[in-house]
Amino acid sequence: METIIDVSNLYKTYKKRKSNEIITAVNNISFSVQKGEILGLLGPNGAGKSSTIKMICGLIKPDKGAITINGINSQKHRLKALHHISAVLEGNRNLYWRLTVRENLEYFAGNRGYSRKDRKDTIDDLLEKFHLKNKEKEIVNRLSRGMQQKLAIAVAMLADSEVILLDEPTLGIDVQTGYEVRDLLQNIAKKYNRTIIISSHDMDVIQDLCERTIIINNGTIVTDDRVENLLRLFEVRAYTITLGKLLTKHQFHLLQQKFPQLDYSPDILQSTLEVELNNNEEIYDLFDILKLEQIPVESIDRKTINFEQVFLKIVKGEMQNAFIQSS
Amino acid sequence: MPLFNLLKANLRKDYIGMKRYLPNTIAMLITFYLIFLGMFAGIQIVGDPSTQDANIQFVIVNYIFWYLSLIVVQDIGFQVGSEAVQGTLEQLSMSPMGISKILLSRLVASVIVNSIIVVSLLYLSMLTTGQWLNVDVITLLPILFLTIISMVGFGFIIAGLTIVLKQVNAFLQILQFILAGLVFIPLSVAPFLAFFPMVKGVDLVRGVMIDGLSLGAIHLADYIILIGNAGFYFVIGLLFFRYSEQIAMKKGLIGHY
Repeated sequence: METIIDVSNLYKTYKKRKSNEIITAVNNISFSVQKGEILGLLGPNGAGKSSTIKMICGLIKPDKGAITINGINSQKHRLKALHHISAVLEGNRNLYWRLTVRENLEYFAGNRGYSRKDRKDTIDDLLEKFHLKNKEKEIVNRLSRGMQQKLAIAVAMLADSEVILLDEPTLGIDVQTGYEVRDLLQNIAKKYNRTIIISSHDMDVIQDLCERTIIINNGTIVTDDRVENLLRLFEVRAYTITLGKLLTKHQFHLLQQKFPQLDYSPDILQSTLEVELNNNEEIYDLFDILKLEQIPVESIDRKTINFEQVFLKIVKGEMQNAFIQSS
Repeated sequence: MPLFNLLKANLRKDYIGMKRYLPNTIAMLITFYLIFLGMFAGIQIVGDPSTQDANIQFVIVNYIFWYLSLIVVQDIGFQVGSEAVQGTLEQLSMSPMGISKILLSRLVASVIVNSIIVVSLLYLSMLTTGQWLNVDVITLLPILFLTIISMVGFGFIIAGLTIVLKQVNAFLQILQFILAGLVFIPLSVAPFLAFFPMVKGVDLVRGVMIDGLSLGAIHLADYIILIGNAGFYFVIGLLFFRYSEQIAMKKGLIGHY
């Protein structure tokens, strides 16, 4: 695959106005993005993701390091590099609220040097794809937040740029529109072979859309991996077993001897056992005891970990432990 | 061609704004007309009757220029500030055309669209006072063009300050009085003001409209000062803006308010 963005040893500090204290927002970050890839950029507030995105967009100058966009050094040839990039950084705030949907698209096309005639077909196509055709004459002010967000993404699509950066694309929009935006983004990446970088707090969006995720914390990259790899890394071998009867004291002790961290919740109708296994073999030991003691098993559920929990674990610094355990 | 498309897009945006918010445009026109009426009444009540006609003519020209300077110099500051608040400044800064070209096209578009108001105000004030000035378009246009260039340069300085400092509204309010001072003070009182942006231009326009000066009758030295001012302030303004843009990018201020 072809590299479209290459970020190397990026470093950015800010000086606090009153105290003159130096704050390191981005500390030696390096990564690259392949053409057609959807990359997720995650991190807690103040982690440095917005600074990183804005440096890629050419809105902030890095103190050190280099950013190459489609082979163009963005610090040396900023305007040239901007031909290959577009972004939605402030969502619906990136629009002119007193202009209509079509006027916004035409105005932004003009600001990139295109004529209305040149972009007419593109604009018609975008209005159609983003389901905004029936709203094209509506003033943006009167649109719902979800529609405004879709329009902001459509504006970013106008330029035919290879890379689209999206900061919180689903923030403040309803669930249905959120799914619609996700579908649109997936479509954009696949059909138009665009590279998308998404920064979001919505883990579902990242899990659904992104092939790869970079987690930034305190200005440094904590992890850079595929979402499924991260999920696998933090996968737990924990099971909830629903039993058809209550355990006797003897049965409970027997199980506890083998599985000291066993959690038993007795109930006349349905008792449950919660157990975390060290390895996959232990599940046979557990079932041997249950079979031997003739304890009926009604259901077995494996506990799953979602991406939000993975993210929190990584940010809390549990990455190292996970590596050790998995290896 | 991209530059022309950029200008067309900004012209259209200004035109849409003016048309869609027509009551607002009319209200602005009425406000400026009322201010003019106040000045006119002032001259008639407290002014010297022997120089009344000359004073009224003087005020008409100065007043029109003051309005023009507000559009070019002050308005760009307000625009940059409000775009930063709206969140659109970041989008403009990401255009491969470059923000200075976008702002320049905004200024040009603003002058063209507002020239409708300027001409309306001029004829409305001439009609009210009964003082018909010499509107020699061929002589006025090159002087106006060069004067507006120096105003644009000044506008870029204000835009640069706004992009870095952001909260400059109080300064922009004061600026309108500074602009009034530059426009209203005659060069005969303070000749050094000839080297300030737009002052020489206003002086020459007064010469054309009040004293009937023609293009050929203007001294070479006046042309040199006019052209020199236009070039100097435009270049300085542009350089200052580019420098401010670099500072804003270094400090991460673009889009922040």
